Amino acid sequence: MPTPAVSLNGLTKRYGSRVVVDHLTLELPTGVVAGFVGPNGAGKTTTMAMLLGLVRPTAGSGTVLGQPLEHPATYLSRVGALIESPAFYPALSGERNLRLFAMVGGHDPDRIPALLELVGLDDRADDPFRAYSLGMKQRLGIAAAMLGDPRLLILDEPSNGLDPQGMREMRELIARVAADGRTVVVSSHVLSELEQVCDWLIMIDHGAVLYVGAAEDFAADSDTSLTIATARPDDLPALRTVFSAAGHAVELRDHQLVARVGPDDLDAVAGELNRMAFDAGIVLTELSRQRTTLQDRYLSLVDGSAR
Amino acid sequence: MTTMIRAQLIRLLRRKTVVLAALGAVAFAGMAAVTVFGSAKHGGPGLAGRAVTLETLTGHGGGTQAFATAASFVGFFIFVTFIALMGSEFSGGTFRALLLRDPRRLRVLVGHLLGVLVVAAGIAAAAELLTFVFSIPMAAARGVPTSEWLSLTGAGDALRNYVTVMAGVVGWAVFGTTLAVVFRSAPIALGIGFVWAGPFEHLVAGAWNAGNRWFPGLVLQSLIAGGTNDLALGRAVVTGIVYVAVAAVVSLSLTATRDVTA
Repeated sequence: MPTPAVSLNGLTKRYGSRVVVDHLTLELPTGVVAGFVGPNGAGKTTTMAMLLGLVRPTAGSGTVLGQPLEHPATYLSRVGALIESPAFYPALSGERNLRLFAMVGGHDPDRIPALLELVGLDDRADDPFRAYSLGMKQRLGIAAAMLGDPRLLILDEPSNGLDPQGMREMRELIARVAADGRTVVVSSHVLSELEQVCDWLIMIDHGAVLYVGAAEDFAADSDTSLTIATARPDDLPALRTVFSAAGHAVELRDHQLVARVGPDDLDAVAGELNRMAFDAGIVLTELSRQRTTLQDRYLSLVDGSAR
Repeated sequence: MTTMIRAQLIRLLRRKTVVLAALGAVAFAGMAAVTVFGSAKHGGPGLAGRAVTLETLTGHGGGTQAFATAASFVGFFIFVTFIALMGSEFSGGTFRALLLRDPRRLRVLVGHLLGVLVVAAGIAAAAELLTFVFSIPMAAARGVPTSEWLSLTGAGDALRNYVTVMAGVVGWAVFGTTLAVVFRSAPIALGIGFVWAGPFEHLVAGAWNAGNRWFPGLVLQSLIAGGTNDLALGRAVVTGIVYVAVAAVVSLSLTATRDVTA
């Protein structure tokens, strides 16, 4: 069994009586693009900071690329990170900043031009960092994280503060840097930002895990239903009786019927319900499929944990 | 360690900073020579209560005396410069970014400080050389003979003045770095450092003369000046070493143990 990129066992961080990360236990397989999702203050940044040796755990243990968390020097050369906000020297150009950080990390400075091109900053490489837009700063942060050609890339809210266009470019950039099989962890408090690029999800709230697993499994668990409306609202109770008699679980909700149906049965059941309504002489004005979005499911998880 | 020092040189040795430092060194040298030579009297008191007399300037170390005397007055400037340089590393998150590349915290902090000190040493050397050059016409104007300045003993005195000034610079640098490490914020550290080493020490020492022997900033000021009437050089060195050691232990232990959250 291959070594997981990240393995955490009861990782905990307390500041006084406040528990920021609460016995976090999870494994992250190598080669996945993992969305690390949770509301603001859920403990995402603190968890990432512990992975990077910036914050020491109060309790628990873990490994990063097979090396113990207590010895970040043994693995940080293979880890690239952008945590909190991109931090560079404002007066230095993007290129000179990368040169400085490459020197400190012992990385090959010959990679810098290619990285600037990868993040789309090759034509602004000589501009001082302070002249960059927020999106450009974030992209330079990703270029800096890529300096050591890392096997694990940790990006803390890289889309934070970006406009929709910038967010789309960031998603495309994440897809590009993940293309050669490196493990990528991207945090966000908005799942919809990540669902297009992630194949693995870690959801936390109040420092505790809500979900860890493949993104497609999380999607498969989403609820699906059919919504039915009739020309005459008075027909709804009769129609409900017909459907129930045929074995379908149907609820009357806001002048509509809602039938819970498995995702694979949606088409067949929709046809059957339509035929039964026709046979009962009831005219349907709506018969539509509903699927709970990942964001809805995530929010319901968060709401559940809050309660 | 050398990597961190070289990285700091990449940061600091830009054309703009080099030009500004050069202009600063020229301005410092000119003002030092004009002020010290202009105020020196026969056997009378000079700057800082220490006897910088025309007779002193005639001696072997006369060529660099203006450098040593004036340097004791720019300690505060050195202090706030180091606070700003080191504090901005914490405020701006670049210290955190450096640790992501090299997690050996003490090495990063010390290497960072040494890198800035290397640049400071270069600026101090340039300032001393320029002060010597500016002192020549000032000596001629005041009728001070300069024949002793270029002797071997004069070179030794120049070196001693340089080492003394750099010892003070190191002290101010460590104090400034400690404040930056403790507060992890350039504005807060600057505010506290400014109030302490600026008005507080001088006002209290004005009312309580022993403050000149015990306040860290005033001790370093005496050290850079090569000793004062209140504090001899030897005692300034010993007291300064104790203060710097305490400050170094505080900043190193905090850096090693505290979470990096900014």
